Amino acid sequence: MTHHPEDYSKPELMACCGAREIADGDVVIVGTGFPTMSANIAKYTHAPQAVLMQESGVYDARPKRPALSVGDPCLNPGAAMIGGLVDVMGMFLQAGWVDVGFLSGSQVDKYGNINTTVIGSYEKPKSRLPGSGGANPIGSLARKVLIIALHDTKRLAKRVDFITTPGYIDGPGARERCGLPAGTGPAAIITNKAVMKFDPDTREAYLATYHPGTTVEEIISLTPWDLKIADDVHETETPREEELRALREILDPFRMINIYEGRGYV
Amino acid sequence: MNKVMTTEEAVKTYIHDGDFLFIGGYICRTPFAVIHEIIRQRKKDLTITRSNAADDFDMMIGAGTVSRFIGTFLSLGLYGLGRCYRRSMEQGIPQKIEVEEYTNLSLPMMLLAGSLGMPFIPVKDMAGTDLLKVRAFMGDNKFKLIDSPFDGSPSVLVPALNPDVAIVHVQQADESGNAQIWGIGGDCKVGANAAKTVIVSCERIVSREVIGKDPSRTIIPDFKVCAVVEEPFGAHPGYTPGFYDVDFSFGSFYQKASDTVDGFHAFLDEWVYGRKDRKEYIQHYIEQFGYSAFDKLKAEFDYGYPVSYSY
Repeated sequence: MTHHPEDYSKPELMACCGAREIADGDVVIVGTGFPTMSANIAKYTHAPQAVLMQESGVYDARPKRPALSVGDPCLNPGAAMIGGLVDVMGMFLQAGWVDVGFLSGSQVDKYGNINTTVIGSYEKPKSRLPGSGGANPIGSLARKVLIIALHDTKRLAKRVDFITTPGYIDGPGARERCGLPAGTGPAAIITNKAVMKFDPDTREAYLATYHPGTTVEEIISLTPWDLKIADDVHETETPREEELRALREILDPFRMINIYEGRGYV
Repeated sequence: MNKVMTTEEAVKTYIHDGDFLFIGGYICRTPFAVIHEIIRQRKKDLTITRSNAADDFDMMIGAGTVSRFIGTFLSLGLYGLGRCYRRSMEQGIPQKIEVEEYTNLSLPMMLLAGSLGMPFIPVKDMAGTDLLKVRAFMGDNKFKLIDSPFDGSPSVLVPALNPDVAIVHVQQADESGNAQIWGIGGDCKVGANAAKTVIVSCERIVSREVIGKDPSRTIIPDFKVCAVVEEPFGAHPGYTPGFYDVDFSFGSFYQKASDTVDGFHAFLDEWVYGRKDRKEYIQHYIEQFGYSAFDKLKAEFDYGYPVSYSY
């Protein structure tokens, strides 16, 4: 029988939620933090043939410590291939070979659109953010996009201030109409409270599972749109023993995941 | 042809106010020695480009050398948002720079087009987003939307970029400029080859014979290069594979310094204006943080092994 230990943190639960969205053999493009942890949990448990790459040009790295950036030198030794941005973002991602990508952002809306450009107006920003980087191409071109977000009414928005990265834009068919490849787009928003998935008809995010310690009512109150609830809504499966072992013993012995608690992922 | 010179000479001779620069280095191999010299010589009105910019571009913007930025991203990574970049965009300090925003797919593709001598290239990203609603100094030439003449599908066309000068830091180069890298490439190869000329900064100058022992590593042929400068630790506080690691504590030091305008200027005075060249910078680093901190940055292991090109 599957064993679910009692002691786990919210970031660990979120990393496991991400891992469970990855299938064996998937080609996964990852950034640092949650994406790396999720992809590696999947690789060490149910998806040993999943392969990871970083947009900087690295394919199938075997780092001896968790990478602190997508260009961390620990990604170099032992990788199967190292090229550059045109290789990974062009020949692999744009050409349609990437199955799963992970994204986060300062604002996420009900269609899974992401803002990493500006809070307030573009011309006179309240807060100027980093910009797209690799987010837009990953959100535009990966088959399945998993979004990591803090669950509050500031981060989740009815409508983001600026669409840096497309989700389903303004509803069904919008991606295809503007030329994005069919069969791509956000699959889930994984927050510190819940997992939301996207309705295939309306393309809006709805509540699929809620994490232990919260309620459907609380999640509705923290979500700024009229959140639909899945008929079979239920509690999120807590981390399995083998998932936690992969994370704690193999992937993250220095417990770098704890920084997410400091950033409010509790 | 021997193109070896000092960084001071290379910047004085080949970089002019108003130039358009590609500055290589995707987290690794950032040409910091040359960047400091550009700031030191108080170059003005530069346009700068590269995918994923960090403390390097933040510093150039804060120092007032930059007017325009063709970018995708600017952040201090682990240390959060770029402070000088934010002050420029939010408060106009020291000036509000103009930004043309692309992505880590579209910008390298624009450099690829430039390196291939093509006027534009189609990309599959940016469609449907606000990135296509904002334009700055490039105006209508930021992008064009067309229906593909082949299958009618909506397509985004982006223009080729051909910078006046590319500045790249590499592991090794010969005296005439054949430049070799290993490890993460970022957009260095396309950026350098898109430019009209290249300043190569390197960890070590080697002979043409050494270059010929592993020619697959060469990303820039010497005919494209105008200057070769030897700057050991030239990418500090970033890293160069095989030579040294990222200096995380210096990253934190820069973040704290650049939190305020005064702190940033004190940083520039101490580490850039107050140091004649890279050698003095390294000496100052050792005085400030100790030789053991400096020594700890050096790469410990050689994971590489020589390949055979025999036949």
